[in-house]
Amino acid sequence: MSTQNPKGLSTVKKLNWRLIVTITTLLIIGLINLYSISHRPHSTTTHLFYLQLIWISLGAFVFMCVTFINYHFFTRMAYILYFINLFFLLLVYFFGSVFGGSKRWLDLGLFHYQPSETLKIILIFVLARILSSKRSWRAMTLGELTKPLILIFIPVLFIILQPDLGTGLIICIITGSIIIFAKVHRSILFSSILFTLLISPLIWNFFLKEYQKERIFTFISPGRDPRGTGYNTIQSKIAIGSGQFLGKGFQKGTQSQLEFLPERHTDFIFSVLSEEHGFMGSIVTILVFLFLIILGVHTAFQSKDKVGIFLCIGMCFYIFWHMFINIGMTMGLLPIVGIPLPLLSYGGSSLLTTMIALGVISSVSYRRYLF
Amino acid sequence: MKETLSRMEEEIQEIIPRWKWVNWILIITGLVLGSRLWYLQIVHGKELRKYSEINRLKETKIQAPRGLIFDRHNNILVDNYLDLILTITPQYVNNLEQAAKDISSILQIDHQDIIKKVNLEEKKQGPFRPVIIKKHLTLNQAVQLKLLQWNYTGVDIQETIIRHYPLKENGAHIFGYLGEIAKNQISEFNRKYGKSFHFQSGDIVGKSGLEYIWEYELRGKDGFSFVEVDVHNRKSISNIAGLWSFKPKHPISGKNITLTIDRDLQKVAFQSFLRDDKIGKRNGAAVVMKSNGEILAWVSHPSYDPNIFSKKLSPVSWMKLADAPSQLLRNKPIQNHYAPGSIFKPIIALAALEEGIITKNTLIDSPKELLFGGRFYHDYRKVGHGPINVTSAIERSANVFFYKLGIKLGIDTIAKYAKLFQLGQKTKIKMENEITGLIPDSDWKIKSLKEPWQPGENLVHAIGQGFTLVTPLQMAIVYNTIATNGKIVQPFIVKKITNTENKEIKTFEPKIINSLHEKIKKKYFHIIQKALKQVVHGEQGTAKWWKLKGVEIAGKTGTSQVMSFSKENIHKKCRKRPLEQRHHGWFVAIAPADNPEITVSVLTEHSCSGSSGSAPIARDIIRSYFKNKKLKNKNLKQENQI
Repeated sequence: MSTQNPKGLSTVKKLNWRLIVTITTLLIIGLINLYSISHRPHSTTTHLFYLQLIWISLGAFVFMCVTFINYHFFTRMAYILYFINLFFLLLVYFFGSVFGGSKRWLDLGLFHYQPSETLKIILIFVLARILSSKRSWRAMTLGELTKPLILIFIPVLFIILQPDLGTGLIICIITGSIIIFAKVHRSILFSSILFTLLISPLIWNFFLKEYQKERIFTFISPGRDPRGTGYNTIQSKIAIGSGQFLGKGFQKGTQSQLEFLPERHTDFIFSVLSEEHGFMGSIVTILVFLFLIILGVHTAFQSKDKVGIFLCIGMCFYIFWHMFINIGMTMGLLPIVGIPLPLLSYGGSSLLTTMIALGVISSVSYRRYLF
Repeated sequence: MKETLSRMEEEIQEIIPRWKWVNWILIITGLVLGSRLWYLQIVHGKELRKYSEINRLKETKIQAPRGLIFDRHNNILVDNYLDLILTITPQYVNNLEQAAKDISSILQIDHQDIIKKVNLEEKKQGPFRPVIIKKHLTLNQAVQLKLLQWNYTGVDIQETIIRHYPLKENGAHIFGYLGEIAKNQISEFNRKYGKSFHFQSGDIVGKSGLEYIWEYELRGKDGFSFVEVDVHNRKSISNIAGLWSFKPKHPISGKNITLTIDRDLQKVAFQSFLRDDKIGKRNGAAVVMKSNGEILAWVSHPSYDPNIFSKKLSPVSWMKLADAPSQLLRNKPIQNHYAPGSIFKPIIALAALEEGIITKNTLIDSPKELLFGGRFYHDYRKVGHGPINVTSAIERSANVFFYKLGIKLGIDTIAKYAKLFQLGQKTKIKMENEITGLIPDSDWKIKSLKEPWQPGENLVHAIGQGFTLVTPLQMAIVYNTIATNGKIVQPFIVKKITNTENKEIKTFEPKIINSLHEKIKKKYFHIIQKALKQVVHGEQGTAKWWKLKGVEIAGKTGTSQVMSFSKENIHKKCRKRPLEQRHHGWFVAIAPADNPEITVSVLTEHSCSGSSGSAPIARDIIRSYFKNKKLKNKNLKQENQI
């Protein structure tokens, strides 16, 4: 391969090692954390740590595979992948196993496949394809926006109907960010904001289920209705706050160890980290995340074509919004939505999709010297 | 190629300013998250650290009580009581050995058992789940244990609400019972009631009867409160929680349901199945209905005690309940059907009158047997009845009279009239798993048995045997229709639903769903009404032993054959046969005969005869109804005089 390369770089050298080291750092932080809460006396969750190790090895393999695939392949396949994913989404909608009151999963025997997770990535492929085909960088008109918006709207509708409002919203946020990045007319931007403001009372009255309303109320005032979700917020805030500057130490977090903290392994993993490693540990973790995203953005601007730019920026938004919403939620800055923290939360679905996203960035980076 | 490349590069150059924006977003994010961390961990860190170490906030669910069920006079039929439970939380208990010894001296259970149980549960569920040591503590025990709590940490008395059915076995089939929601029910319930409730596994819901059907109304909304507990799981006195301004959410109890049932009559009806005469304890069903369709009493015997479901039911006792040969769980008035036997005869008589086959005075010879198609059809009386009119035929329940009507009417006309009285279809009383019974006709037989109708079958079906099947509730409606000259009412059991402030939310009014006055003339109803009165009050009446002082009863006895017998066996004493071969006995009564207020439909299984098996039960019920009514009138008069 090196012989075909004008700059004569070897495969090893072309890999973005800074990216790989950053990802590894985050995975190790995640493993330490998971070990801390799953390995204690009387624990019934010891196996989670080992399962996560398996997921990580699988994830690493997927990451390398994606790295060596030319990223144009993904945009070329975008529509096919999109319709396959849409099909699975409909399958879940009509036949999916019911979990916690909403149908989100497809039982594949070995594990549960959640089509809305892969859809996030595939929508980024679709958008990269549509947006990069534009001739110039001028702001998009309403006519140009119709196609991408329809392609986003259809699956989002089914996800919200599942009902999984959280995932539906985060897909809107990620894809919206990408479209705004690609530049739209200011009038369209403002009128869509206005539209959202007008339509939200309607959604509130006719669309939201009782428990979803409660979550939003709870966020506004956790003391008002301590049912379930408010409890989570409060316990999470206590856990984070009680970590103070240096934290309580490895396996010494009382909130998390004594099961006061709900969903410790998945959605509230950051609270565990904050409690045991304090302000220092948390800020370092956040900085590593931001560094990861900067690396992604950097790769975008180094890319030699628009497809690469949009793919990288899309994946960066994907990681960024997941991180921001999850950490903001644990700190009581945002309402509780069931969104995992990329690379740190326990769970195969989340880890694999995140590794695909990072693999795409790596793939763009790998080919930055081509041409 | 070069041109396109440079154009591409140009385009990419254009995008560079957007770098800035992306960087700004990242910097702002870092600042927002960092400052929030600072606020929580540095500014409030000290308080929160103290809070996490000394105090723990525990969310406790406040169980909402289910709605109560009352009878028509506001007597309680189903209520709730508070149960006290002793628990030990392994993590917090400081001296398990000594604590177990002290507890055992109060509760009289072996202290080794307590220790074993705590250790076992700790291994299974971890040290923070409270282990239940004993349920149903008496108040005295609770007080003594409460004192212990100050010596031993981790020992707790918890309160739960338990559903209570004061009538025990009586009315179990009306009220139903509660149980943990089944896995496959969760989504069904959430679809049905999702707007107001969110069901999860472990929730207690109505499993049958009114508890199941009125789940939405009866169910309360649980409340939540925060209890601060210290490291030893004792309630904390400090109030750091003020930081978050907690407000508890109060539980909302379910709505109350008032039934049309009369508790006193219900008691009498149930008790009257436990007689100690020659036949002894009866199995079967009884329905008492007011002429406007209100159900006053509802018995399915034998029964079960729904209270045992409120305490956890062991799999063994569940098997016992479900598999019992006497079908304890079955709601017999609507879930079992029987051949009507002679209580079907008034319908045949009405059909024959209306079709002009007979008049009031037509005399038909009714000997001891009838030869038809080379076969003998018998009467129960070995000497026969001679020539009789329709009134006598019903009074004596003369079979041959009705065989002859059956031949003339044919099965399709019989079915037509039976269906007018709503037989062969559900009554749509709001109870679950109601069955339709069966009114056969020639089409039905071809369709389901692939055989043509035989003329001989007309005879059998004219006396209510053969394929015909009815439920006790259906027969109550038939006789009420006869008593009210053809008004078919909707039977119902729930009178109103009220909220906890006793405000009515929904009231159910009596409803006449059909009237037969165009199909059957009033004078024919009068003839049958008179004949039914003769059954009890005539000299030859089949229920002449069950007259009541002060109230005139009209009624009809019936025998439902379980199996057909050969010629030699037909007159063999029923009571000498094995139990499962004995006939069922019917008695359906109307009282008072001339001004009907209530209809009583009684079926006793394998009691051999309606007259001795079922009629005494109906008589007891009617006697009690009018005695209570008299008492109430007397009280009312006295009150007015004062």
